[in-house]
Amino acid sequence: MKLNLNWLKGYAVLYLVFLYAPIFLLPIFAFNDATVIAFPLKGFTTRWFADLTTTPALHGAVLNSLFIAISTAILSTCLGICAARAGARFSFPGKQGIIGFIMIPLVLPEIIVAVSLLVTLLQLGLSLSSWTVILGHTLICTPFSIAILNSAFATLDPSMEEAAYDLGETKWSTFRLITLPLVMPGIISSFLIAFTISLDEFIIAFFLTGAEPTLPVYLWGQLRFPAKLPIVMALGTILVAFSILLLTLAEIFRRRGIAKAGGRDTGGFL
Amino acid sequence: MTDAIVSLTDVHKYYGTYHALRGITLDIRAGEFFSLLGPSGCGKTTLLRTIAGFEDVSSGTLLLDGKDMARVAANKRPTNMVFQSYAIFPHLSVAENVGFGLRRSSMDSAAKARAVDEALEMVGLKGYGTRAAHALSGGQRQRVALARALILKPKVLLLDEPLSALDKKLREQMQNELRRLQRQVGITFILVTHDQEEALIMSDRIAVMFEGEIAQLASPQDLYRRPLTRRVGEFIGVMNVLPATVSGQEADIAGLGRAPVTPDQAPSGMPEGTAGAGIRPESMSILYDGETTTRRTASGEVVEVFYYGDMTYYDVVLPGTTKPMTISMKNVAGRPVLDRGTTARIAWDAEALVLFGDT
Ligand SMILES: Nc1ncnc2c1ncn2[C@@H]1O[C@H](COP(=O)(O)OP(=O)(O)OP(=O)(O)O)[C@@H](O)[C@H]1O
Ligand SMILES: [Mg+2]
Repeated sequence: MKLNLNWLKGYAVLYLVFLYAPIFLLPIFAFNDATVIAFPLKGFTTRWFADLTTTPALHGAVLNSLFIAISTAILSTCLGICAARAGARFSFPGKQGIIGFIMIPLVLPEIIVAVSLLVTLLQLGLSLSSWTVILGHTLICTPFSIAILNSAFATLDPSMEEAAYDLGETKWSTFRLITLPLVMPGIISSFLIAFTISLDEFIIAFFLTGAEPTLPVYLWGQLRFPAKLPIVMALGTILVAFSILLLTLAEIFRRRGIAKAGGRDTGGFL
Repeated sequence: MTDAIVSLTDVHKYYGTYHALRGITLDIRAGEFFSLLGPSGCGKTTLLRTIAGFEDVSSGTLLLDGKDMARVAANKRPTNMVFQSYAIFPHLSVAENVGFGLRRSSMDSAAKARAVDEALEMVGLKGYGTRAAHALSGGQRQRVALARALILKPKVLLLDEPLSALDKKLREQMQNELRRLQRQVGITFILVTHDQEEALIMSDRIAVMFEGEIAQLASPQDLYRRPLTRRVGEFIGVMNVLPATVSGQEADIAGLGRAPVTPDQAPSGMPEGTAGAGIRPESMSILYDGETTTRRTASGEVVEVFYYGDMTYYDVVLPGTTKPMTISMKNVAGRPVLDRGTTARIAWDAEALVLFGDT
């Protein structure tokens, strides 16, 4: 037993190093005073970060990405609310199958989603723009939103809604006064996760983007210029920090929601 | 019936193909404490939710205060409900919970605050208004749920097993308080319970339900003394049922012998030929050494002894029978508890018998 446990510990440490070492390299080179990404380090500088502020194309990409990420987050969270609410309250024939079908994009290779969406859009004669990227991102984010919101709705006691309705409220005011506040942490958590996924997503954005690239697509374009590499590292550092912050917030809200509804934690992503 | 506040006529309810309510016809009087009693799955909750408007009837009519409720939704009915889980809104304070039903009333906010205070005082939670609802104990939640449902002064208050989540002591205390509260406000209470003792203690009348049907509707005393069927008799308290043969006004009971019976003792009609003769544990007693009696006597072997402190329950097998009968004895000072294996003399009364058509 003892031996087994030690092996397991060793494996876990190796796994974590493998997973996070590249990410730790990002900030190291972002602050390194050299255009070449290699050891030994040359010295400390913040000029790569300063350069970020003087690149207008980058600012356009950031704004574009933010617009896409916020739209995606709103859309997929709204879709998620409808699906999770229906799944928690009603049973209808083929419910399991339908839920399963909605969740498929979670495991489908993104490249396949991207290519098939591109083909379909071109067939329909639609031109590529930020909206087509939003469409693609909503498709892959909705399953995540449903998974998060399912846990929020499932822990909600159905007699809460009945009690409010019984006390004279309408179906809609019950939803607004009771359901929404009680699942709000789940909604915020879903919004943040969808936002983060959309912000980082590359493949679908690369295929479906129009004239204005998203941030990841812009970054990828910059990799052709070795001199820009440290700036990319700086940008990457900011993105990683931002993503970690958002995911942590999302998880805090999800847990708080479960505690609030008086339920026990069953799943989630972190 | 003119004073019926709730009136159901041949109400059926199907869940898909499952027949949950099978022809319920029932009148509940204004101001009475009415209980729906039955084993798990018999349809008590379904019936209560039908009255509340959370389930619609598949066929039949439901009148509340003389008005047909077929097209009236739960939020427009003169009923309020206390849920089994209490359904206290965790994100609101105690006062906001209790005052929730007043949101749509035309009262000014001072009058609303006064109504909330009164409701809280009524359930013994004076001064709890500003507390967070999610931090209350089980008994306090129950009181908040009661106050919240009563603040709208409904014609009928519906309670779905409101005490089942409480421990024994608190449950007994709340039974008292519920009864007192019902007398005080004069509102019709309909209580769902699977606890026969609770139903007997609290109710003016009880409807016993089995498999979606009402098996008997009677006052607690009638229900206990004159159960219509063997099944009702055995569900309410303990009922010993012995095989018997009835001819005319006389019953020949296995292990007890012949005894005269009157039609009054056969609530579902006097059987002829094979029948079941029921007798309650407290209608029989064990005769101790040297004790004499003018009652009827029999004897049997004590096969099991259950000592409860105030009472002792004996399982006794009578000659010619296999199933033991239960006899209860008060543990009066100086009266010994018999050992297993003793042959006991038993005294009983023919008037205590109840006859059932089924054996
Ligand atoms: N929404 C529903 N869909 C399908 N069947 C249901 C539904 N609600 C109840 N039933 C069935 O109807 C029957 C009666 O249920 P009900 O909840 O009224 O029982 P009950 O007497 O309240 O039991 P308990 O004491 O366990 O609460 C049960 O067999 C139950 O499985
Ligand atoms: Mg029930």
